[in-house]
Amino acid sequence: MKKRSEFLFIEKEDQTYILSMTPELQDDIGTVGFVEFTMGDEVKKDDTILSLEASKTVLELESPIAGKVVARNEALISEPALLNSSKSEENWIVKLTDIDEDVFNQLEEA
Amino acid sequence: MDQKVRLDYLIDYLMREKGNTSTDIEAIKKDSFEEKLHLFQGLCNIRAPKPVDNAFIEVQDAFLTQWNHERPLTTISDLAAVEPQLYIWQGDITSLKVDAIVNAANSRFIGCTQANHTCIDNIIHTRAGVQLRLACAGIIQARGRKEPAGKAKITEGYNLPADFVIHTVGPFIDERGVSPLKERLLASSYRSSLTLADEHQLSTIAFCCISTGEFNFPNQRAAEIAVHTVKSYLAETGSELDVIFNVFKDEDFRIYQSLFEQSE
Repeated sequence: MKKRSEFLFIEKEDQTYILSMTPELQDDIGTVGFVEFTMGDEVKKDDTILSLEASKTVLELESPIAGKVVARNEALISEPALLNSSKSEENWIVKLTDIDEDVFNQLEEA
Repeated sequence: MDQKVRLDYLIDYLMREKGNTSTDIEAIKKDSFEEKLHLFQGLCNIRAPKPVDNAFIEVQDAFLTQWNHERPLTTISDLAAVEPQLYIWQGDITSLKVDAIVNAANSRFIGCTQANHTCIDNIIHTRAGVQLRLACAGIIQARGRKEPAGKAKITEGYNLPADFVIHTVGPFIDERGVSPLKERLLASSYRSSLTLADEHQLSTIAFCCISTGEFNFPNQRAAEIAVHTVKSYLAETGSELDVIFNVFKDEDFRIYQSLFEQSE
């Protein structure tokens, strides 16, 4: 099941929720040249999860949902432009668990 | 020391500090007071945020205090509200004696560094004094990366009539035009600035038309987002902030006036 909130996708895979950028956001910010993960192991809604510098803008991405961070896409640090990829195995940002299922279900369908 | 002597001192200091690096600044004539003032502004604009002598600060502060105060200043009590807590005022934002003025910054965050460029960032930095760039450089160094769009940071106003400056980076509009993200970021710049003003328990804040100048946001749409975001924020939070929409251009003045006429 895949949802969207603001400019991010949240895809549920088993009990894990994977955050990635929508194509609109990818287009809008341009090629990403720098990223830094700025969250702890727990995120609240609207906490910054990733600071990025792209060719068109400098932006902080915020989590659309509270949860526990179980994985970060560390490959982005050495290769930030993976965020511009159309492949979901490359362009993901973080994986969350322990999210509120009701909150997730209320998000817009992607 | 009168203003002429102070200005000569400041120019001399900044020229010596700059050294022999060749810039367009050398072409500026310095016969009249106005020409010297122009040169001084250009030198402030290009000055890197490096330590400065106390003697310079003393002369600069005396010069700026007089320069900033020898023109009519405007306070909130001089203005009539267009709606409760909301005001429109046309003029130079640096002549507002309010708690905070909002600066349209860029992601590098140390102010515009182009000599005599007529942007709001430059005039705010020049009239505040070199301390403002040092404060902004401190913020961005502590952050360790560029300032993102849609957020806000606060510094003192130094020699400005306003007590504080809130710096926000609005969205930049390129040839592809306005997108939902850019609209969202512009609203976020207003909201972040208002939140910061309330966190510092300020009573008055004056916004410039964020993103409409160098950043190309269409004026009408930007004003709609500005007014809508401020009204929503005040209604949602119960904030008692008095908010001035400061416009510089006639075009923006007409746009803001018509937005409030429509809502009556």
